[in-house]
Amino acid sequence: MTAADNDHRPAPAPDIPAGAVPAYQASADTSAQAASAGGRAPGRRRTDPLDIGIVVVVLAVIVTGALTTRFFSLANARAILASTAWVGITAIGATVVMIAGSAVSLAVSQTATVVAMIFLATQQFGLAAAIVLALLSGVAMTALQGAVIGFWAANPIAWTIAAGFAIGGVATWISGGTTVYPQVAAFSGLNDTPLGLPLAVYVLLAGTAAAEWFLRRTTAGRHMYLIGENPAAARAAGLPVGRVTVIAWAIFGACIALTGVFLAAFNTSANAGLGGTLSLDAIAAVLVGGTAIGGGKGSALRTLGGALLISAISDLLLLRGFSTGIQLLVKGILVLFVVIAVHVRAARGRG
Amino acid sequence: MSDVTSAAAGAPARPQVSVTGLTRGFGGVPAVQDVSFTVGAGEIHALCGHNGAGKSTVVKMLSGQLAPDSGRISIDGQPVRLGSRQAAQRLGVALVDQELSVVPALTVLDNLLLGDVSAPLVNRRRAALARCAQVLADLGLDRLRPQQPLSELSIGERQLVEVARALSQNARLVILDEPTATLSDAETEYVFAAIRRVAARGCSVIFVSHRLSEVLELCDTVTVLRDGRRIATTPASELTVSDLIVQMLGEAPHRLTAARPPDSLPGDALRIEHLRVPGRLTDFSLTAQAGRVYALAGQLGSGASDVLRALAGLHPQATGTVRLRDRAVPFRSPVGAAAAGVAFVSNDRKSEGLFLDKTIAANLLATRLPALGRAGLLSSRRERQAARTLAELVGISGHRLGEPAAALSGGNQQKVFVGRCLGRDDVYALLLDEPTRGVDIGGRTAIHRLLRAAADAGLIVLFASTELEELLELGDVIITMRETRMVGRYEGGADGAVLMRDMTHGAHAA
Repeated sequence: MTAADNDHRPAPAPDIPAGAVPAYQASADTSAQAASAGGRAPGRRRTDPLDIGIVVVVLAVIVTGALTTRFFSLANARAILASTAWVGITAIGATVVMIAGSAVSLAVSQTATVVAMIFLATQQFGLAAAIVLALLSGVAMTALQGAVIGFWAANPIAWTIAAGFAIGGVATWISGGTTVYPQVAAFSGLNDTPLGLPLAVYVLLAGTAAAEWFLRRTTAGRHMYLIGENPAAARAAGLPVGRVTVIAWAIFGACIALTGVFLAAFNTSANAGLGGTLSLDAIAAVLVGGTAIGGGKGSALRTLGGALLISAISDLLLLRGFSTGIQLLVKGILVLFVVIAVHVRAARGRG
Repeated sequence: MSDVTSAAAGAPARPQVSVTGLTRGFGGVPAVQDVSFTVGAGEIHALCGHNGAGKSTVVKMLSGQLAPDSGRISIDGQPVRLGSRQAAQRLGVALVDQELSVVPALTVLDNLLLGDVSAPLVNRRRAALARCAQVLADLGLDRLRPQQPLSELSIGERQLVEVARALSQNARLVILDEPTATLSDAETEYVFAAIRRVAARGCSVIFVSHRLSEVLELCDTVTVLRDGRRIATTPASELTVSDLIVQMLGEAPHRLTAARPPDSLPGDALRIEHLRVPGRLTDFSLTAQAGRVYALAGQLGSGASDVLRALAGLHPQATGTVRLRDRAVPFRSPVGAAAAGVAFVSNDRKSEGLFLDKTIAANLLATRLPALGRAGLLSSRRERQAARTLAELVGISGHRLGEPAAALSGGNQQKVFVGRCLGRDDVYALLLDEPTRGVDIGGRTAIHRLLRAAADAGLIVLFASTELEELLELGDVIITMRETRMVGRYEGGADGAVLMRDMTHGAHAA
């Protein structure tokens, strides 16, 4: 059943000339990538249907963009980046969790909302303290969900739906169902736009770089790729499946909390609906980036690309005067397209 | 089942299946070159060969999974084009694959009907049930109910269901690729009886196996391949196991023995006391010294493999005391067992072993990442070094380290799996469940050599196996097991017949 034939020693992929397989020690960089399971193996690089599709979509965006006034302008580029930032930060965390094999969380919006409320309610202690408290609460809530998934193998989807209702319920209960306003606005600095870009954009870029480094260069990050690909093998090998899963979810929690903080600062108040469709927007960005929903494959960089692509398309549709409904529809089609492309890829890999 | 004429049983001379000049390459590298042989009606024809000899490629061409570059396949004198597995099945070719392809979520009956192109669109349930019961009875599986979900069955029983599926298709050619790799000897006997029955009905059978004594016992003719070419086709009655090995390897293999008298440092020992797993293992005790190889001889269900799984932390309900180097092993979790210095190689390489989509390097390093850096940060230089050293140790070209593990042959995958546990300072006991399952003779010798070297380097090696040759070749101490209990213990040589008796119908030792 495996793609590899069992019997002939040299030919991993029939359609690749032998010279195309680079030596492992070719350079520090490639070998590190090859070894870090995330990148597809150089030995059987075929044209990936997903990558072809993405290139086509990107080209379509560029061509349509060129025909659209104001799409290729500095101001619009800033707008795209700015609108990517909030969802993007959360999506980076979602990528880590998806690579580690826990699929998705459907409790993201609620968690971000609660964090935003905590952040606003603690403004009187100063910005630093409020951020620390917000991060701690986000990490605690999310890591706890991860612990149940990592140690007791709970189904992530069912479990996070339950957790989402619980978190949302507690938030509504404590806030009394009303909007939370800060006593003082210590957060105003978070809405600064150094070099014309919101602070959140810099956090997104730094977060992507940090996550990428973490996934490739640390023991925990590399364990995530292994656990995500084959949890049974990881368990039998004695890898710390539970602990690594909790770490992945803790990182996710920190990312959600950062998004919650920026949402709160931007809106200057928080109600139960603040999180909006953050859960699904983040998942869409991760999927469009090509991270495998089944775990074991993907990268933070790809997710950044996915988030930017979604923003660029929404922006383009907005500039051409399409309604919000059409924008949502296109986003749906994009995710659907990626899911189909990934399926085709998996089917090919098996054949 | 009975609508096939059984006229040909006595006359195996007429070639029913003939292969002429079959050739197939991959990316310019020939995997099979100019292979020809014929299989008569009612003949059981073995295909043997060392790793990379081209057996699987021939099987894939015969079953429609690969198209030949040149050459011809004829059935009943008619040249056929086998464009896909379905097309091959329609032309009367049934295949039992090396890897399990049954579906655990479905029932036994559904699995038997699965992929049978002759099955009617609307299932006639009662007829199917009757046929299913007959097929199961033929394979000695009367104890299974057709409505039982496959997930309740052991690996061996699932393999038997897979065999039953192929044998029930009224095929003209049945190909069995390593069908007995996961089976106990009793189960193997049932499969052989069923194969003989199918052959007696006039069906041609191609049997691929690494178990040479089985090949000689079952088959009429043996074709040996080496490096993609046919070396010889000989009647089985004129062959011995060593003849076959010489044909396959081109040289006679030598026996492995302990390089030095085993250490007896009592502090280094693995002490297992009263290990129990409910329903699977009854009161197992053993003290294993560093530097020696301990073999657990037992069929499926004997408890041999459960000793290893319990020690590796994969039986959370296990009880007893286990001490390694005078420290208690927390064997109720795999993480605890690994931290205490236990490394485990499962018998299920695909689902519980390798990370097949990951590179060979990533697989070799999978369990030693913490040792390759400081404070959780990895050093690329040390990673590269470690991967290269390990590749050299297990005998895989350093140039292949970047390829996915799935691209390796079964034997080489197993080398990677074993290599993953070697050369680590924090491993004291190496546990292997069927260390050479589905591995060819060459790979097997290499793995045995690795294990012997590991023991010589001071490791405790404990393995479970159902294969006599392997037990005798590798074990310094052999412990026989049957029906969840230890039966006997042999040191310094044992008689194969005695071991077999212990494993199958011996009396329990005190």
